[in-house]
Amino acid sequence: MDRNSNSYIFIFSVIMVIVVAVVLSSLATALKPMQSENVRQEKMQNILKTFVGDSLKIDGKSIELTRAVASEKYNDYVLNQYALDYKGANKDGVDAFQVKLAEELKKPLEEQTFPLYEATYEGKSYYVIPLRGAGLWNAIWGYVALEEDLNTIKGVIFDHAGETAGLGAEITTDWFQESFVNEKIYQGQSIVGVEVKKGYQGGNDKGDNAVNAISGATITGDGVTAMMEERLKNYKDFFEQKKQSKVAIR
Amino acid sequence: MSQEIKDTNEAKKKKDELILFLTKTEERESLLSKANRKLLSDPLDDNNPITVQVLGICSALAITVQLKPAIVMSVAVVFVMAMGNVVISLLRNLVPNRIRIIVQLVVVASLVIVVDQVLKAYLYDVSKQLSIFIGLIITNCIIMGRLEAFALGNGPWKSFLDGIGNAAGYGLILIIVAFFRELLGSGKLFGFEVLGHKGLTLEESTGLYALGYENNGFFLLSPMALIVVGVVIWYQRSRNRKLIEEN
Amino acid sequence: MDLLNLFVKSIFIENMIFAYFLGMCSYLAVSKTVKTAVGLGAAVIFVLLITVPVNYLIDTYLLQAGALSWLGADYASIDLSFLSYIMFIAVIASMVQLVEMVVEKFSPALYGSLGIFLPLIAVNCSILGGALFMQQKAFTGISEAITYGAGSGIGWFLAILAIAAIREKIAYSNVPAPLKGLGITFIITGLMAIGFMSFMGIKLEGNEDEKVQEAALESNNMGEEDEQTAVITAIEN
Repeated sequence: MDRNSNSYIFIFSVIMVIVVAVVLSSLATALKPMQSENVRQEKMQNILKTFVGDSLKIDGKSIELTRAVASEKYNDYVLNQYALDYKGANKDGVDAFQVKLAEELKKPLEEQTFPLYEATYEGKSYYVIPLRGAGLWNAIWGYVALEEDLNTIKGVIFDHAGETAGLGAEITTDWFQESFVNEKIYQGQSIVGVEVKKGYQGGNDKGDNAVNAISGATITGDGVTAMMEERLKNYKDFFEQKKQSKVAIR
Repeated sequence: MSQEIKDTNEAKKKKDELILFLTKTEERESLLSKANRKLLSDPLDDNNPITVQVLGICSALAITVQLKPAIVMSVAVVFVMAMGNVVISLLRNLVPNRIRIIVQLVVVASLVIVVDQVLKAYLYDVSKQLSIFIGLIITNCIIMGRLEAFALGNGPWKSFLDGIGNAAGYGLILIIVAFFRELLGSGKLFGFEVLGHKGLTLEESTGLYALGYENNGFFLLSPMALIVVGVVIWYQRSRNRKLIEEN
Repeated sequence: MDLLNLFVKSIFIENMIFAYFLGMCSYLAVSKTVKTAVGLGAAVIFVLLITVPVNYLIDTYLLQAGALSWLGADYASIDLSFLSYIMFIAVIASMVQLVEMVVEKFSPALYGSLGIFLPLIAVNCSILGGALFMQQKAFTGISEAITYGAGSGIGWFLAILAIAAIREKIAYSNVPAPLKGLGITFIITGLMAIGFMSFMGIKLEGNEDEKVQEAALESNNMGEEDEQTAVITAIEN
């Protein structure tokens, strides 16, 4: 058969499309459960990591917080989860763990759901809040764990889809994330988050709502600043209620 | 009983001989031939994909800020190129000329997606490292260029060697550029601070930084990658003068 | 207004070559003379102008999670986004093949001089890059996708035109022999990109009026010319 005849080209492309479509979609369908399990475990690992660190201490022994360990122990530590609306009221029937921030961010503020995880570890309680925003090239996201005072940061985790290696991608490094520890998110009565500041002179001052930026990654740093403020300030009503109820119990 | 064992032994021996024979002819005909070795070694210098053929520049600029992603990318490209070249070479007598570009791209893209999906399911950590390169691999013109220029006209084994050779030549330049950019730009190699630690003040610094050395942040920006590649070309052509262009 | 913002932004601030370094291979290899550069640049504009909107439609109505809901409620849960790379690239490849056939038919001379790089437009990273940026920017309408496609194509065109003009001049300069051709082109592109980085500070969003934008546009053009002459004088010296 002539390789350049139209009918040959047509048959060839039909066969190619069918073969490729069958192979790819069957592969995607077959691997989907394992992939989503990986994603779920990673989410649990990230949430735990914000207040546990790299290794989990159980009965005096320390175990590395791998994805498998994280998914096994997640329910031992994360005791409560809330799906809040922008006024801080819990939405019934919404599974906070399944909320995808990428989709929530597209909605108007009044319709968004704000997930919050309440956890207890070594006798202290922590509140973990997921974050999501835009970096230079693509989305950046993360989790921040607050201590019981709902002001001091216990730990943060950041991740990104495609920031420049060596510049924006440095937000995933330990030194950058550690600089957030013990920073405060409140300034006076309002939530301002933590600013990633260029040419920061404050050293290790934990009271100024600012950390040192990564040199050369201004836009990613601004993205982190914006993401922290924009996400956290919507929890203010909930925080106030929480604080009030604590005072009442005392 | 003993006869049986003898028989099976003999059969096994014959089989071994056959395998030996097959591998030997294979070696004599292809692995050791000079032309085939040239396929592997040429792209490292005389016919380097980046500095001579001008292919695959985009990715060379995007991922050479640090050594580690450069190496991950090189390994991924070796794999995809070798596989892609073999598949296209096997299909070369079937592909209609008029839609060959689509076929080539579909083959490359499918390969990359298959690899990506499998990694996501079984080696999640590796896939996270690779995920940002997927688009860069599909549109890496080295892969298309070699499919078009070589695999469409040559047998699978030769195409395989050509793929490995070109990917290696590409990786070599990537690693050289990444080495200089990471060393001069952030004073690190593979993330380790090889030039000493830079503290907030001179007193807190160690190594070169204690002498007042500063990182050249310019090397972290993409335009610097272009200039580093330019200098690599300069060096290569002043050693290998037959590559010098007229103007 | 927003479209104009997007247009200016995609030409200058987010220039495919100088800000994202996409489409470098053909940019470097086919920029020896202004004539071939114009040919390739026009082809890139054309392909981007068509593929970005087409891919936008495919992405919005076929691939995204829930995109198939127009077929009925049963289809709303289908997420085909894992196919986006292959769909985008297939659209691009067929468009390129179309351009190739048209050019071969109507301008054999241009076809001859573009050589291997016409098929390589398909892997010109700027084309797929355009499709992926379009997906990432989450445009709200097809007019935005068309504007973005045209803008990034024109940006690419300008870039290759500029470097081709410089290279034609450089032929008369005394460049060190091993740097001739490719080497010096890399270095000049690097310098030009450093110049283009100054556009990054320009903010077009917000409530500036048209005049401000035009002023920015003008100064952009000025900057580019200044820089070219600066580069040329630097080299001539």
